Amino acid sequence: MTEKNLSEKESLALISSMISQAKSNYQKGGSFYFLLWGWVVMVANLTHYYLDAYTDYPHPYYVWAVTIPAGIFSAIYGIRQKRKALVVSHLDKLYGQVWMSIGVALIIILMFMNKLGYNHNAVIILLAAIGTFVSGSMLKFNPLKIGGMLLALSSVICFNVSITDQYLVGGIGIFAGYLIPGYLLKGKEK
Amino acid sequence: MSGFKPLDPLLHSQLRLAVVSLLLGVESAEFTFIKEKTGATAGNLSVQLDKLSEAKYIEVEKAFKGKKPVTTCKITKTGVEAFEAYVNALKGYIE
Repeated sequence: MTEKNLSEKESLALISSMISQAKSNYQKGGSFYFLLWGWVVMVANLTHYYLDAYTDYPHPYYVWAVTIPAGIFSAIYGIRQKRKALVVSHLDKLYGQVWMSIGVALIIILMFMNKLGYNHNAVIILLAAIGTFVSGSMLKFNPLKIGGMLLALSSVICFNVSITDQYLVGGIGIFAGYLIPGYLLKGKEK
Repeated sequence: MSGFKPLDPLLHSQLRLAVVSLLLGVESAEFTFIKEKTGATAGNLSVQLDKLSEAKYIEVEKAFKGKKPVTTCKITKTGVEAFEAYVNALKGYIE
């Protein structure tokens, strides 16, 4: 690009071409989080359900410790992706902030799960529903939006079943509303 | 002739206008990204980024990614306002 005098029309053409250059860039790799958290949360839900419903094991909730290494792994991956990215779009930032705020809400809910009468799973699935639906809207990817609706439906079911059964519903809900759209997103990223 | 406001000389330059328009659409961008999208030479781009940064239109952050130095640019509020004023002035010329 050389320096020369711009006419008004050239100025406008340049502005619009640069803006459209910026528009088509958003980070890929969103499916990684869906697959990682989808598997971790689904397996933890189903294991918790199995231990609670079919065994005498007194501490079925220990299985949720698996989210700690997953969280660390997720953070490392996020930092690496950020380092690799040459550009951060407004959408990338918004995407990150949506899930970050959901993460904070999740911690608050876990802190006060006794006050929720241990119906926290239903609320957590509702949070995942919001995040998944909004992600689908931001990425213009309908399977995620449908996934978000399925998660919201799972939450409604959860509120109407026993706490033990909530883990089974949660596991199935995460599979259908989070993991499957995650794999579809992965397919699209290629 | 009230519609003819002077065009901001800092923005009325091909490369600087390209940089500001590009940064307007993103949260932040690295030097190499801007270089690729504008097709500018590294030397020229460096000079123009310095000019924009001196006018506080953009923020330039130099950091290290591992051992590699990287320059990240971001548009500032002043930059957005200047861009808006530039576009409005431009409208006066076209209408």
